[in-house]
Amino acid sequence: MSIICLGIEGTAHSFGAGVVSSDGHVLSNIWDMFSPEEGGIHPREASRHHSDIGPSVIRNAMEEASINNKDIDLVAFSRGPGLGPCLRTTATIARTLSLRLDVPLIGVNHCVAHIEIGCLESGFKDPVTVYVSGGNTQIIAYAGKRYRTFGETLDIAIGNMLDTFGREVGMRFPAGPQIEREASNATNYHQLPYSVKGMDLSYSGMLTAANRLVSEGVSLADACFSVQETAFGMLAEIAERAIAHTKKKELLLTGGVARNNRLTDILSGVAKRHNAAFHRVTPPLAGDQGAMIAWTGILQHEAGDRLSVADSSILPKWRTDEQDIVWRRS
Amino acid sequence: MEPWNIGAESIIYRLEQWGRIILLKHRPQKPYLLKDIDEFLRTSRTSRECKMLTVARNLGVPTPMVYWIDVHNHSIAMECLQGKQLKQLVAELAADRLQKITREFGKLIGLLHRGGMVHGDPTTSNVIVNPRGNIWLVDFGLAEMNATVEMKGVDLHLMRRAFETTHWDFEAILWSAALDGYRTIHAEETEQVLSRVEEIRERGRYH
Ligand SMILES: Nc1ncnc2c1ncn2[C@@H]1O[C@H](COP(=O)(O)OP(=O)(O)OP(=O)(O)O)[C@@H](O)[C@H]1O
Repeated sequence: MSIICLGIEGTAHSFGAGVVSSDGHVLSNIWDMFSPEEGGIHPREASRHHSDIGPSVIRNAMEEASINNKDIDLVAFSRGPGLGPCLRTTATIARTLSLRLDVPLIGVNHCVAHIEIGCLESGFKDPVTVYVSGGNTQIIAYAGKRYRTFGETLDIAIGNMLDTFGREVGMRFPAGPQIEREASNATNYHQLPYSVKGMDLSYSGMLTAANRLVSEGVSLADACFSVQETAFGMLAEIAERAIAHTKKKELLLTGGVARNNRLTDILSGVAKRHNAAFHRVTPPLAGDQGAMIAWTGILQHEAGDRLSVADSSILPKWRTDEQDIVWRRS
Repeated sequence: MEPWNIGAESIIYRLEQWGRIILLKHRPQKPYLLKDIDEFLRTSRTSRECKMLTVARNLGVPTPMVYWIDVHNHSIAMECLQGKQLKQLVAELAADRLQKITREFGKLIGLLHRGGMVHGDPTTSNVIVNPRGNIWLVDFGLAEMNATVEMKGVDLHLMRRAFETTHWDFEAILWSAALDGYRTIHAEETEQVLSRVEEIRERGRYH
């Protein structure tokens, strides 16, 4: 019989709740993003946002899934990695629910959840995953019972880089979509520092130079175009190096920045060159949301993973490769 | 011509010329990249690789000999080394032999660093070992000169991560052997570089 899991996500600026069944159906997936008027995320303000809107987001998710308390067999929550205050608020909500409903509690690794929901959607068995968001830029693949980070950023994440550049040129947060729109009107490419080290990359030098382009009078469209082409080119290179190295035959693109169509084109080109299948996770499942936590919670539960409330402390620095992937064979 | 290996950046062919086997490394066009960027990378990496193979050898690091280079066609012809990638040998070598070879790998990276160069992609696929246990470093397309402490730290960080992601059961042995070898090359900055590696490892993580 199919069981039902309520998943709660709240590692950074988004709070989400999703309901998923063990036969792989996403019954609901509701989230709310804390979007300050200006500046980046303030961890404390974001956590206040989560505790303010948390209960109603959960209620809406249950309503949309047409379930009530007694239908929930499992509560899963994002245990890390993430911002301490946000994680604490989310964990408190999840513990309370698990105790009140008297159902097991499962602690899920946020990065692992992005991969697993992507696999559910795409049907991929063993992909190289490009996970790109505000706080993460990682190339991850499964090897020896773990998801291992083959490559990552040495300084700032790609989403953070785009948002910081956007803020500098007067765009609202998040700036990614507007940068993409601007870039489509470009006429010229301006060279920016391209910094790849093995399977790692670095964006901070590029960001500084991009800001300089704008202050030197290069059109916004050209600057946005140059930023995208350079940043995505670097990402394509490290993804390609990971594919060549692991010889895997699937490439999965996920995270908030996966919405970008140019990035998608480039990475699907990479996949094609290596005869690998390509999938971009659809926006509702690519961002930070509860369904991915619920689904991964189910996988962990079915593999016998248990977590007592007493041991459920948050893990702000939880590395992707610290989680034993007990539900995967080989 | 059948490719012998399709890598991230290059296609490698083996051909016979003048009675010996040579290895032709060609950086093909990547249609999915912006032309300006693609052309810049293929050209600069080809000429850089050729130069760095020689500089490295002058620093005492065995590298394949370059026969000719054709920057216009983004190709280098080089000596084909008779050996296997360290990557393929890790699981099958006896522990003491593995340690000895990995120490040597660390030592060669130390020699590069002392000479102001970083390799740029120091994975076990880029170490060729022959049956007698001699080793060479290959793939210098990402190598850089005038390396800072930070760049050297990153270089070692990449090496460690390659051990971690590809040889998880041997990571501890490999990393400590590589460090042993690295330390045998005394350079002014060695200790600074080693403490920077730890710092870099923490940095990429979620804050
Ligand atoms: N001269 C050589 N003799 C023998 N084997 C070699 C030689 N040069 C390269 N190889 C092998 O071929 C592999 C691919 O070559 P190389 O790393 O230069 O290509 P690449 O496309 O730059 O790789 P990457 O995927 O790291 O970008 C190397 O890892 C090495 O194992």
